[in-house]
Amino acid sequence: MIKLQNITKYYPSKLGDQYVFTELNFNIPSGHNIALLGANGAGKSTLFRLLAGSEYPNKGKIVTDLNLSWPVALATGIHPQMTGRENTRFIGMINGVADLNAYEQRVLSFSELGDKYLLPVRTYSSGMRTRLAFACSMGIDFDIYLIDEITSVGDAKFRIKAKQALLEKSKTSNVIMVSHNMDELKQFCDSAIVLNKGELTFYNDLQLAIEHYQAL
Amino acid sequence: MTTLIKRNPWEIWRDVIFALFIREIRSGFNDKFGIAWAVVTPVIFIFMLSYMRTAIADGDTHSMPVFVFMMYGMTLVKFFQATLNSCAMAFKKNKALFAFRQVQPLSSLVAIALFQLLINITVIFILFIVMYVMSIELRMDTSLNIIANVLQLWFIAVAIGCLFALAESYVAELGKIRELMSMPLLFISGVFFSLKDIPQSYWHYFDWNPILHAIELSRQAAYSSYGAVGVSNSFLFQVTLTSTFLALACYHSFWKQALNS
Repeated sequence: MIKLQNITKYYPSKLGDQYVFTELNFNIPSGHNIALLGANGAGKSTLFRLLAGSEYPNKGKIVTDLNLSWPVALATGIHPQMTGRENTRFIGMINGVADLNAYEQRVLSFSELGDKYLLPVRTYSSGMRTRLAFACSMGIDFDIYLIDEITSVGDAKFRIKAKQALLEKSKTSNVIMVSHNMDELKQFCDSAIVLNKGELTFYNDLQLAIEHYQAL
Repeated sequence: MTTLIKRNPWEIWRDVIFALFIREIRSGFNDKFGIAWAVVTPVIFIFMLSYMRTAIADGDTHSMPVFVFMMYGMTLVKFFQATLNSCAMAFKKNKALFAFRQVQPLSSLVAIALFQLLINITVIFILFIVMYVMSIELRMDTSLNIIANVLQLWFIAVAIGCLFALAESYVAELGKIRELMSMPLLFISGVFFSLKDIPQSYWHYFDWNPILHAIELSRQAAYSSYGAVGVSNSFLFQVTLTSTFLALACYHSFWKQALNS
């Protein structure tokens, strides 16, 4: 269970403060793979970052005892000048992985980068960077994985692999996923939260949620 | 699978700062020269200017060899400038990493500050080797004082860098002003002259500057016959305490906003 208590979040701008959430109170239930639906600019990525601890609300707090991943988007935290291996070790050290060598191996075999693993990331294609980022997050056991539109990138082989990995993980962990691809969401998620005008609504049934979302 | 170590907050900070520090070392210098260049540039700069000055006006300045006189000044000022400017860029530089909840802006600042300190210690070391090779007497009458001065200057530079980094996350143009302000420091901090060379009525134009105090006090500490005047250890210490307190207080209030932009 993730409790959002009295969350207010705004961004300053030339036209005054742009409020994304105003005194939002919501409980995100555990034990579900949740799809996050909302129009562009509704606040999905902001909510992600708040949950992950990358940003902090202006008022209020988020209470949880679950272990959340960082927002896994295209290439977060990957430094182009360092090699894939060094980036992996860096992410492992930040997150407190016990055995860095085993973690390195696991990321190498999942991402299937082969020799490229020892070359600087700036020599990678964008698909390879995504594979590295995704492999790094899959390699750590989180309670909830925050996936931000990542499964749409990558070649067919990788997508199959990602799907398998996420299905494996959903046995022990959960996923909160942002995507505009409804088929993809149907594969991984069983419920949804719809974001609309700073309000969150939880739907236990994904199909119902999608219908309501598309009717907005 | 992957076990995560249960860490208390101190251990998390330690791991994050260590990881960022290693990342600084690996990614700080991308060309073939690598990290050696960060050390070699200050050494060459300091050496050339000091040597030229010695060649022009040979002998001793206020009972110190000219090279040593200049070296203390140049090393401390260059150290201050480099630390100030790199700490002020600390938040911007590692912005992408703040996506991880364990990485906070302060970790980036501390890692970069430690990196600069390490570079400076190496520079000083190499300069001592150069002095030994040139048969210049290596004399430090009170070395503890010199170490204290270096550390105090470090704290001041990190503190002011932190303040600028916070301010620049709101107003990016301050970075240009900062760079403009740090350039004349070389001339007003007593690198090429001593406070004794200036009539006492003009001292107030220079003695607000803690770098000047650090430099003169270090020269005094190295050569007890130097006879530094108009500088005080307590002033340097007070500036260190005040700036560090101010920086930490401002950081505590404003760091969450620095994550936004």
